[in-house]
Amino acid sequence: MRPLASLFKGWFLIRRDLSSSRRLFLSAVSFVLPLALWCLVSYVDWIWHPDIKLQLSSEREGNSTVFTAGDHISPGYYQEMVVATRAENTRLLASTPPPKSSKRANQKLLRQLAPVAISHDWLPYTEAQNDAAIYHLWRDIATGTKIPTDPALTPENLDIVKKNWAQLAPLTADFSLASLPETPLLKLIPQGLPANPVYLPAPHEVWRSGWRDFKAVPPEGELSMTQRYQHSLRVILLGFFWACVVGVPIGILCGVFDFFSKLFEPFVDFFRYMPAPTFSTLLVAVLLAGDAPKIALVFIGTVFQMILVVSKTTRLLDPSLLEAAQTLGASPKQMLTRVVIPGILPNLYNDLRILLGWAWTWLVIAELIGVKSGLTEFIETQGRFRNFDRVFPVIILIGVTGFVTDQILSWLHGIIFPWTGRGNPIAQTFIRFLFWPFRQISKLSDRAGTPT
Amino acid sequence: MAAALQLPSYLDQSPEVAARFERLRQRPVALEVSGLTKTFETTRGTVTALSDVSFSVHKREFMCVIGPSGCGKSTLARVLAGLEAPTSGDVRVYGQPVSGPGPDRGMVFQSYTLFPWQTVKQNVMFGPLMAGASRNSAESEARQWIELVGLTKFENAYPQQLSGGMKQRVAIARALANQPRVLFMDEPFGALDAQTRCQMQSHLLDIWKNVDITIVFITHDLDEAVFLSDRILVLDPHPGRVREMIEVPVPRPRHNDQLFEPSFMAVRKHIDNLIHPPGQEHHKESPVLRLVARDPDIV
Repeated sequence: MRPLASLFKGWFLIRRDLSSSRRLFLSAVSFVLPLALWCLVSYVDWIWHPDIKLQLSSEREGNSTVFTAGDHISPGYYQEMVVATRAENTRLLASTPPPKSSKRANQKLLRQLAPVAISHDWLPYTEAQNDAAIYHLWRDIATGTKIPTDPALTPENLDIVKKNWAQLAPLTADFSLASLPETPLLKLIPQGLPANPVYLPAPHEVWRSGWRDFKAVPPEGELSMTQRYQHSLRVILLGFFWACVVGVPIGILCGVFDFFSKLFEPFVDFFRYMPAPTFSTLLVAVLLAGDAPKIALVFIGTVFQMILVVSKTTRLLDPSLLEAAQTLGASPKQMLTRVVIPGILPNLYNDLRILLGWAWTWLVIAELIGVKSGLTEFIETQGRFRNFDRVFPVIILIGVTGFVTDQILSWLHGIIFPWTGRGNPIAQTFIRFLFWPFRQISKLSDRAGTPT
Repeated sequence: MAAALQLPSYLDQSPEVAARFERLRQRPVALEVSGLTKTFETTRGTVTALSDVSFSVHKREFMCVIGPSGCGKSTLARVLAGLEAPTSGDVRVYGQPVSGPGPDRGMVFQSYTLFPWQTVKQNVMFGPLMAGASRNSAESEARQWIELVGLTKFENAYPQQLSGGMKQRVAIARALANQPRVLFMDEPFGALDAQTRCQMQSHLLDIWKNVDITIVFITHDLDEAVFLSDRILVLDPHPGRVREMIEVPVPRPRHNDQLFEPSFMAVRKHIDNLIHPPGQEHHKESPVLRLVARDPDIV
């Protein structure tokens, strides 16, 4: 009993760190919790679920709207449709002689089973209008060769399939429009399940759509998901790279020399208040379509913040270190290269880590300007079709990418800058090996600077 | 109270000590400060930190500067090191006027100011490398200075991993590696605990004995000043000016037992009186509210 009780003790201590295992546990919970909430809302039928999601295509007389499988409708309207379709079928069976119907209408009616075939992978989703295959499906289901399970047909609908097939079978074994009957076939009764609004797909749907989208081989001329991902990464990394190339040196100069600080910072301060997206049309006009304006937008969004942040970090360097260096005989140039730069590197690294996070925001906007591209174009397009189950995987992918990158960079901080605390000897050796060429160069420049 | 303690005058010097001071005065002047004045412009007007300070230090002498807070001790150190320009007057090192910081004058700060990204060895190598030494010679030189301060085992440690005393030893080694002609130390042991400070004082004297160096040591600790120095420069506050230059009559070599010798106590008491004049803040009764009845054992 005692160890169990200690398990619940000491979770809430003011300004005290928890043990590392508890911290790890809570970090895991912080991800599990929202996921669990999502699952709860998605899978427990009596929580929320304000819509009915159709499993079969449905239409009714006197209403021009055709609902396809996957559509969301309100429970009240669903009931109305069920009742109306049953009534239609009853009228059809009762009337003599049977009313006339176009073969085209019967063809359309047969396609009502297409979603069932697709969800069972009996038919690829691009083949929803493959009438020959669908015709055989009616046969297979009616004869019991194929038993649909997901979604399973209601006994009522199974009966309708059998009745219709009884009418079709004598006419033709394979589909042909000409051989279809001229009397109307029975309509399948609408079938659906309680569902959440379309903007909140269930986890498994998101997972399935994401998996499918990433595995899918794209049609000729379109980009695969991996290519889109690479494209987005390329834009953000290039934009960020150029921002670093320009922003870091200027930031350091501003932090070190009052001259540059007063020369650059007022304008930079002004410019950064103009939102980068406002330049998008200008950038497209100047740099034309393609990646250039996108990279430029990430650059503009990042570089001005970077100059200010880096100059602030540089100013935070302990000035007594510079005085110490002076009393040790360092020249101004040496103070810059041997004291300022190595002194600010750990903080600079963290600044850049945070700015890289911001750059992702600009990426999303950048990909919408000019010719839409990358992951954002996919999000945009699918969002318009309300395919949110395909949108979420991409949003999550961006989140995971940012999070994982940041975690890795934060872990590397301790290795690259062993003097800041956590460092281990293996990592230090690794880094020494990594920086070996730079050390050789600096040795050479030392020698070059030494009068012999 | 003063009558109870029968102390000799701080001016009494044994013949050996007097002879030693005579010989010291014959040495060349390492540092000469004449008419040094330093003022700062602030929003509240001009503040005079140092006013007409003059003194000289002889080669290999150990001089301490002491004074109450606000007497401009640290400003003096910074001006001597060349980190601040004097408003008027001048500073000469072996006859050469000082016009800015330079490797001929070493400086040890209270806040250690070690480069955190460099190991002990790299810190000590810094000066020689700046002077254009090759990496190999700087390294072997650094090793020698690290050995002198007894940190050979820690040469690859980062400053962050060292204790305060060790950090200050690295700072001393780093300053000495440049082989400066004068070493300025601005309250270097002020941040250390009493025990470490005591060890560091003895250690510093050992270094001073074995290295060709003249030391100007800023402190506010009376015992430290008397224990370490040949002469003590006492400064007055607001504005900082020379009150007295005292020759310490305590014979060398110094050791901790001397802290209770009459000559030590005499000079210590004299400086204490200079810095905290009797009858001023010292004897003022602080108004403390009495919350318990008077207890004869707790007085």
